[in-house]
Amino acid sequence: MTEAAQVAAGRPARLPGWFVILWRNRKCRIGLVMLLVFVALAVLAPWITPYGPREDDYPPSIGPVAEHWLGTTARGEDVLSQLIHGARTSLLVGLAAGVLSTVIALAVGLTAGYLRGLVDEVLSFFTNVALVVPVLPLMVTLAAYAPVKGLWLIIFVISVTGWAYGARIKRSQIITLRTRDYITAAKFAGDSTARIIVREIMPNMTSLIVVGFMGACLGAIGGEAGLAFLGLGDPQTTSWGTMLNQANNGGAMLTGQWAWLVAPGLAFAALMTALTLINFGVDALSNPHLRED
Amino acid sequence: MALLEVRELSVTYRPRDGVPVRAVDRVSFDVAEGEFVGLLGESGCGKSTLGNAVLRLLDKPAAITGGTVVFDGTDITTAREETLRSMRWARISTVFQSSMNSLNPVITVGAQFEDTFQAHGIDPGHRAAELLAMVSLDPVVLRRFPHELSGGMKQRVALALALALSPRFVLLDEPTTGLDVVVQRSILDRLRELQVELGFAVLFISHDLGTVMEMADRVMVMYAGEIVEDQPARAMTAAQLHPYSRGLLGSYADPRAAQISVTYVPGRPPDLSREQRGCRFAARCPMVVDACLSEHPELLPAGQGLARCLMVDSPAIPGGFAVPGRARVDTAEGPPVLAVRDVVKDYRGGTRAVDKVSFDLHSGRVTALVGQSGSGKTTLAKLVTGIERPTEGSVRFGATDVGALRGRKLRAYRRHVQLVFQDPFAALNPTSTVAYALSRPLRNHLGLSAAEAGERAADLLEVVGLAPAAQYLDKLPHQLSGGQRQRVVIARALAPEPAILVADEPISMLDVSIRAEILELLDRLARDRGIAMLYITHDLLSARMLADEVLVLSEGRVVEGGPTLRVIRHAEHAYTKLLLDALPKPV
Repeated sequence: MTEAAQVAAGRPARLPGWFVILWRNRKCRIGLVMLLVFVALAVLAPWITPYGPREDDYPPSIGPVAEHWLGTTARGEDVLSQLIHGARTSLLVGLAAGVLSTVIALAVGLTAGYLRGLVDEVLSFFTNVALVVPVLPLMVTLAAYAPVKGLWLIIFVISVTGWAYGARIKRSQIITLRTRDYITAAKFAGDSTARIIVREIMPNMTSLIVVGFMGACLGAIGGEAGLAFLGLGDPQTTSWGTMLNQANNGGAMLTGQWAWLVAPGLAFAALMTALTLINFGVDALSNPHLRED
Repeated sequence: MALLEVRELSVTYRPRDGVPVRAVDRVSFDVAEGEFVGLLGESGCGKSTLGNAVLRLLDKPAAITGGTVVFDGTDITTAREETLRSMRWARISTVFQSSMNSLNPVITVGAQFEDTFQAHGIDPGHRAAELLAMVSLDPVVLRRFPHELSGGMKQRVALALALALSPRFVLLDEPTTGLDVVVQRSILDRLRELQVELGFAVLFISHDLGTVMEMADRVMVMYAGEIVEDQPARAMTAAQLHPYSRGLLGSYADPRAAQISVTYVPGRPPDLSREQRGCRFAARCPMVVDACLSEHPELLPAGQGLARCLMVDSPAIPGGFAVPGRARVDTAEGPPVLAVRDVVKDYRGGTRAVDKVSFDLHSGRVTALVGQSGSGKTTLAKLVTGIERPTEGSVRFGATDVGALRGRKLRAYRRHVQLVFQDPFAALNPTSTVAYALSRPLRNHLGLSAAEAGERAADLLEVVGLAPAAQYLDKLPHQLSGGQRQRVVIARALAPEPAILVADEPISMLDVSIRAEILELLDRLARDRGIAMLYITHDLLSARMLADEVLVLSEGRVVEGGPTLRVIRHAEHAYTKLLLDALPKPV
């Protein structure tokens, strides 16, 4: 049976089915390949980097040379090694904060949308408050005054400030889904509310959840970079944000070390582009009209 | 030369992840100036694809793969987009089922008319108001926004827009499907008058047989991408040449007749992605002979028109698949299963949806609630099933007061009352298998184990005629046809062995050719299993076939009620007569 025929045949091939649609979308294919490269770099970082990210036994502040493709920092660390290790931080923050804020958004959005009434009023109130609070100052304040420091603090701060938008979207989606006939049918079949939400409603909003998750990842990666650039990140970890921060403080512009400054910025741009491109494919998954035939 | 000449037109769908499907296969026909032609067929037969191809509106993955469409001397299949743009609307226009949703929501109706005139460089003057008057709308509507109009009014606006530039040909693709019966009737009556008055030609695509036969001068029947019969409407009503047309027309009857017998066409249309040898209808045909399986019949002159059948000259074999109108028992015995007494339902804002309605449901009997949309039928269904509580009055199931049930008790009550939904496409979760859908009520209400539920689910599928069950258990809804889905929905409703079944328009979304089949199933289930059924419909024919008792609802009140035969054959109330008049009358 050909791959195409399997998609048409349905169930046994359902898992490849969604992947085929993603892969067929050209933008999404490029995004997937780019993301795969980043993941591979992050996972294999200790083995493929020429030097440790914190080894500072090299001549400081030199431009790109054969031993140091992207030059060294003001403290004499290898920029390329830092860049590759930085991918780990960005991906970890993106994944963890993305999952966390998606979970919060799901819990709040689904409860509010399904139960409606007073519960909805209260939860929507908090969602709206969270939407209008200026996120960056709040993140800065939280990160600056928190009693503990570290990467997980950053993840926590990004998650609790970034869930509201997703919750809002999920709430409106469930409001349209909860009055469908098959939900009424599930009630008549005696299913409990929790089961209806998890088993009947959630599978029908998968693509929305995935898109929300991608958006949350993007926001989280950007948030981490912002905090780190402002010097509020975890100084113990190597991330693209801290690299930018150090490049700025180390006078990269003055010493002419363009690579030190440009490389982390380009890496950010590339990772965000990858996620955005994948989102095109996920859109096609939920809306057949967007599929490239 | 005819106004529209279609020759050997083929349309093929080539989805990237599937086999090409030839949806329209070498179709040829003419539409003469001022002629009203009907195109009839069940869903998936290619009639809408043909309509879109005639306007060259096909989107990927569909494409015209052969043949020509010549309109008034211009070949539409090869014309440049610019040529088409000036032709569309000015000379060829269209109204779709969804046309009412194609009105721009942010500008007024008047502005949409101006846009149309401007695009074709015509001075509007007072034309818009005249056009609205033509479709029986007040000129005030020009200042309204689409959302301020009802569905019927919007569809009238769409029709007026289609006629705005006095086209010579109008394609109508299910223009009134989905609208209320009485509204449908008034729009269609007006349309026929306008067509006679203005003299434009019409290709009227519909699955609604009675309407097509009544409206059209000539009717073409389409099956599996081919035209199988083409005859003047009057001749076709009298004698159908193709067994498929015979099956379709057999599914229609006048509910007022003394004896009713309705047929259906068993089986499903062939899979067009495969090579078709022989007659495409052979698998469903009652008069099939060996030659039908090997020889593909041509569309040849027969009777007063054309037919594509090898057996066209043989005498018709009537059915083998008839559903007789069963003799009804007029009086019920024993205590009612459910008693509705003086029920009133007010909604917020003071609208009274149901006003002092009383009726009983008896086991093994079918009670039909008949009325147009907004008459309170569905609200009554919600009251009976406990989804809504009555404002006044009571709904009693044995000793239980349904209106007072909450939470766990309500869930327990639903074991005894189950629903069959109108739209089989919305009633099944697209992400769950048939086996899962059936197992839930079995496990929740009857407390069966997973294995027991699996076995019982298979039994249920056999009961509703989906055999062998193993073939259906692992299917997802999108892999089933509309009729099969509705059978699954019925099987799920039967699963907890309910005492009452509420069927809300269970056949209105199905193809005409299979409606009788589902009615027969519901009928058999109610009688054999002693289920008390509340059958909600706007369709008097199905009420006549299925119900023992009919209640006619208007504005929340029962205006007439009693044994089916008496209510339908000797209607007394003006509203019942209005509903009866709205039924199409084939000439």
